[in-house]
Amino acid sequence: MPNRICGHLAAAVAVMALSFPASGHAQASPYLNFEDLSSELNDLADASDVVELRSLGQSHEGRDIWLLEVGDPDGAPLDERPGVLVVANLEGDHLVGSTLALEMVRYLSDNVASSDVSRALQSQVIYIIPRLNPDGAEAMFADVRSGHRRNLRPQDDDNDGRVDEDGPEDLNGDGLITLMRVPDPAGDYTTDPDDPRVMKLADAAVGEAGEYSLHWEGMDDDGDGFINEDGPGGVDLNRNFQHAYPYWEVDAGPFMVSEPASRALMDFVIANENIGAILTFGLSDNLVTPPDSDGELADPVMLAMDGFADAPYEEIFETGMFGNVATFEYYEQRFRGTQPGRDNEPGSGRRPAVTINEDDLEYYSAVSDAYKEITGIEHVPVHREPEGAFFQYGYFQYGVPSFTTPGWGVAEPQTGEDAPEVDGDAAILASLEAAGSQPFISWSAYEHPVLGRVEIGGFRPGANVNPPPAAVAELGRTHGQFLVRLADMLPDVQIAATDVTSHGGGIYTVEATIVNEGYFPTSTRHGVVSESVDPTIVQIGVPPADLVSGDDKTSRVERLEGSGSRDSFLWVIRGEPGQEVQIRVRAQKGGSAVETVRLP
Amino acid sequence: MNTREHFIPGRHRMLRSTLIATAATLALTSATASDLSAQYTGGSDPVHELPLAWNRWLDHEELGERMELMEETWPEFLTFGSLGESYGGRELWVMTINNPATGPEDEKAAMYIEANVHGNEIQGAEVALYTIWYLMENYDEIDNIRQLVDERVFYIVPTVNPDGRDYFLDEAGSGARTGHVPVDSDGDGLVDEDPPNDLNGNGVIEQIRKYVPGEGNVRPSAKDPRIMEPVPPGQTGDWVILGREGIDDDGDGRVNEDPLGGYDPNRNWGSDWQPDYIQGGSMHYPFELPEARAVNAFLMSHDNIAGVQSFHNSGGMILRGPGAAWQGTYPESDIRVYDELGENGERMLPYYDYLVIWRGLYTVHGGFTDWTNDGIGAVSFSNELWNGGQYFNSPLLQEQQEDPDSPISGDASEYFFDDFLEFGDQYVEWAPFDHPEYGAVEMGGWKKFRGRIPPRFMAMELFHRNMAFTLYHADQMPLMTMGETSVESLGGGVSRVRIEITNERLIPTITARAAENKVVRPDLLTLDGDVEIITAGWVTDLYGGDPVERIEQEELDRIIIRNGHPGRTTRTIEYLVRGSGPVTVTYDAEKGGSASATVQVP
Repeated sequence: MPNRICGHLAAAVAVMALSFPASGHAQASPYLNFEDLSSELNDLADASDVVELRSLGQSHEGRDIWLLEVGDPDGAPLDERPGVLVVANLEGDHLVGSTLALEMVRYLSDNVASSDVSRALQSQVIYIIPRLNPDGAEAMFADVRSGHRRNLRPQDDDNDGRVDEDGPEDLNGDGLITLMRVPDPAGDYTTDPDDPRVMKLADAAVGEAGEYSLHWEGMDDDGDGFINEDGPGGVDLNRNFQHAYPYWEVDAGPFMVSEPASRALMDFVIANENIGAILTFGLSDNLVTPPDSDGELADPVMLAMDGFADAPYEEIFETGMFGNVATFEYYEQRFRGTQPGRDNEPGSGRRPAVTINEDDLEYYSAVSDAYKEITGIEHVPVHREPEGAFFQYGYFQYGVPSFTTPGWGVAEPQTGEDAPEVDGDAAILASLEAAGSQPFISWSAYEHPVLGRVEIGGFRPGANVNPPPAAVAELGRTHGQFLVRLADMLPDVQIAATDVTSHGGGIYTVEATIVNEGYFPTSTRHGVVSESVDPTIVQIGVPPADLVSGDDKTSRVERLEGSGSRDSFLWVIRGEPGQEVQIRVRAQKGGSAVETVRLP
Repeated sequence: MNTREHFIPGRHRMLRSTLIATAATLALTSATASDLSAQYTGGSDPVHELPLAWNRWLDHEELGERMELMEETWPEFLTFGSLGESYGGRELWVMTINNPATGPEDEKAAMYIEANVHGNEIQGAEVALYTIWYLMENYDEIDNIRQLVDERVFYIVPTVNPDGRDYFLDEAGSGARTGHVPVDSDGDGLVDEDPPNDLNGNGVIEQIRKYVPGEGNVRPSAKDPRIMEPVPPGQTGDWVILGREGIDDDGDGRVNEDPLGGYDPNRNWGSDWQPDYIQGGSMHYPFELPEARAVNAFLMSHDNIAGVQSFHNSGGMILRGPGAAWQGTYPESDIRVYDELGENGERMLPYYDYLVIWRGLYTVHGGFTDWTNDGIGAVSFSNELWNGGQYFNSPLLQEQQEDPDSPISGDASEYFFDDFLEFGDQYVEWAPFDHPEYGAVEMGGWKKFRGRIPPRFMAMELFHRNMAFTLYHADQMPLMTMGETSVESLGGGVSRVRIEITNERLIPTITARAAENKVVRPDLLTLDGDVEIITAGWVTDLYGGDPVERIEQEELDRIIIRNGHPGRTTRTIEYLVRGSGPVTVTYDAEKGGSASATVQVP
């Protein structure tokens, strides 16, 4: 197929541009386009007895959203075992996420003989969705690459009645969309003395004057006065979920879970209530820096220069808003501020939780410690405020421990008296370069047909969210180890002991003790509060009429802590000698067990 | 179960479908328009082209059959179709009313009318059906109806929960509010495994009471022994109420704890949606339910929908959003529009109050009209169609109801009405029953139609008054026209062109909330002609010192108006142009149609 060859060539060219191996090793890029990723996943599934590959649905452009189910087929059915769900590459430019997901699968299938991996695969199931946004990721392999975060739903970003009509252009032909800085005495920006490549907001209060305005590279294609305000796409899938959803923001979609991919993911997690922990690779973080004692996440750190280039778009929606310009109004305005009849109390309604429940914080800290210990990551270069992020849904509405990480790190900035006073984009740039990336395209002069002499340069698309290729192999191995550790933490509910006593006259006492051998409780505290995790059910298998006293026939335990915590039940029943009585325990996130006792 | 011929969208296409049909529906659905016409042989009142009866409740299939008949009767105006399928495989029927002679559907403002999102709230479907019928029967009879049909488009969906509707009408119907997507209501990993059961097979899910001398908490009322009233504090009664008719189907020790469905289809919409622990019954995400998803796909693909009406059934209310206090208030200019419509609605609908949902009813998160207001940008009402005051609907009788000794006060009034006006049709006497778990009990109580659904003989007035309110609302949707034009030569080849642009009706082309949320395409004011536009602006003062508010946009031949054109307002646009020849100016509003004027520039 000619297309296939073209695709490979284009990908190779693009990936070479993205390749920033500091040491100059000749190696294949770890960043894979859809075709290569699909082929790797297929090969892994074909070669392994513990890996099944299937499609959850398709993207706007018709690419499959792959799901890998990893578990030893011998034993309990996979969907009755406690499960971990891994979701990656929700943001199109976050390619490393899909590579780490792929490497996790490889780690599991390569190490199936080791005791900890085989234990996980026998008693748990691991679901991996390596690339939720295949269209956005594919744009990172196009001939011209921008940091494409959204999917490719055609969308009228500036609400002017025209769809995707003013995207960026690669004016200088380097295959990248970067920034234009335009000499402009009315501009807001100046160079940062800490690193003159970097632009900062001029601070008039300390005598700084603005020298430049900043735009994304390109032209005002539709002649509306704004440059590149409506490019291809789309919806940022990691801003399309139900917790803290940013209503009516242009990249959040027309409504929650509006996209085929987000809907496919939601339908999967709803149908698989055995999922007891979630890990996403994305552009926020709660693993390297866990929630603080108030249950809040660390403040975001983002590239300021991207924000500067986006700033002109804020004026778009002010243009065309007109005041009262009527030459004649036909009626007298009236206003009825209150309603007759009933009058309910305002503000008495219950509000959804927005911070991690204090009872759950220890678990977040423990998982964070394990993550940092295993991966060695101590600091992430950039991370953003989660709004409508899937991992937040996972905790706040699905009720399970739910984590996210960019999947790689840079050295922690020095602190203390001797530390250099560098902050903002200059500090991010320094940390990326120290980690071996080549994240910056130097400014170079360009004669813009409309703006005149400008300079084009800035952060390389994707470089602030993906590690240098040379680092990826080790990250894949350590994340595989972390995944096995996380699976081992899932609740694991068993019947620890049963006992029967005959009181004569066909009256018996039946006792059962259940135990959670896992580390996580059967539900987070928030899972209880939000009623999103079912109570663990302990049920005795006799007709209700034969229950004389004691606990309910179907008893419910909201939350059983892990690490060997126990709970006991006692029923007084009417029965006959030799009768078999079944005791069943079902923990939605911790498996199920059955014991049969015989009445003496 | 019968396999029957079943109508689907498209006039001449038929589909075999398996449906549960009662003997009653079989008897009626064999009637055709010509049979019914034969009853009418003369008289002064106009003869109906399609004489339909409005005194019985129609199940989903009967609704479809009548819509099909209407389409056959008035094919020029009506298009019968479907938005999609319910969970149970029933079509979500939609009737489009459009007069193609006055323009294509998508160029006229549209009114979307739907009902029955709660399966037990059935009578809105008949309001919807009556609306189609009334508009068509009177198109040639009443000038105002003709004008309305000519100016507007209607999308009418009688039931958006046909599974719940048929369950209510054709089966025992207890707990029919929900749709039929299976839900694990008791958290045991099984779905819908323990519903109420019609144990005595009489087609009614009754109440169960048990005689427990000296140990109970209710007693028969001295006023009417059919009424079970709580005993006063400190006393004991001889009876307990054990809930609805049913058994412990799954043997878990609880009765009726996981019935069919188990959610609220009117909490699954995309504005202020909240998870289940904040808003019970909301499901896992907005538009998860197939019916909500199909309706929303239709709404979002019909940008011309400017008005929305939803019908519920209990309370006598004309409701608008917001559904929750924390959403704040609507922008003032939107409130003015709602207030005028709602207050006139109160005058058209005796016993109904115009209320904000959270303040007058209760808090609703993720409700339908919040979505259509906030996400679709349509002025939206939800009517609660029946008010208990209508049972004894005169001031004299209502005064008598204040007297505790009157046979029509308190709970006794319900029995009086049923005894004397429905001949006891709605009540099942307590009767002994041997319950497998409770032992000897009695079962009895009200049938499903009692309370929220009007007696059949009172239904048509409800249909007509509510229809009239929605037609008034439809009439007040934006309607753009061009008024006077002027061209003045200023010398040097420059001319001043002025054109009046009017929205004749109450509702703006873009509500303030829709403009805030950016959910409606801005209005576009375009100029087509062989001229160069030097400036453009709104004329703010015909006689004063600052005559024009200059429009600061780059493309003056395609001016964007993000907050639309207010209601009942004329604005005058002024262009200074260089050049000559015909110039056409067009104002195009998604929800208000488009209007053009052509002037000659000298």
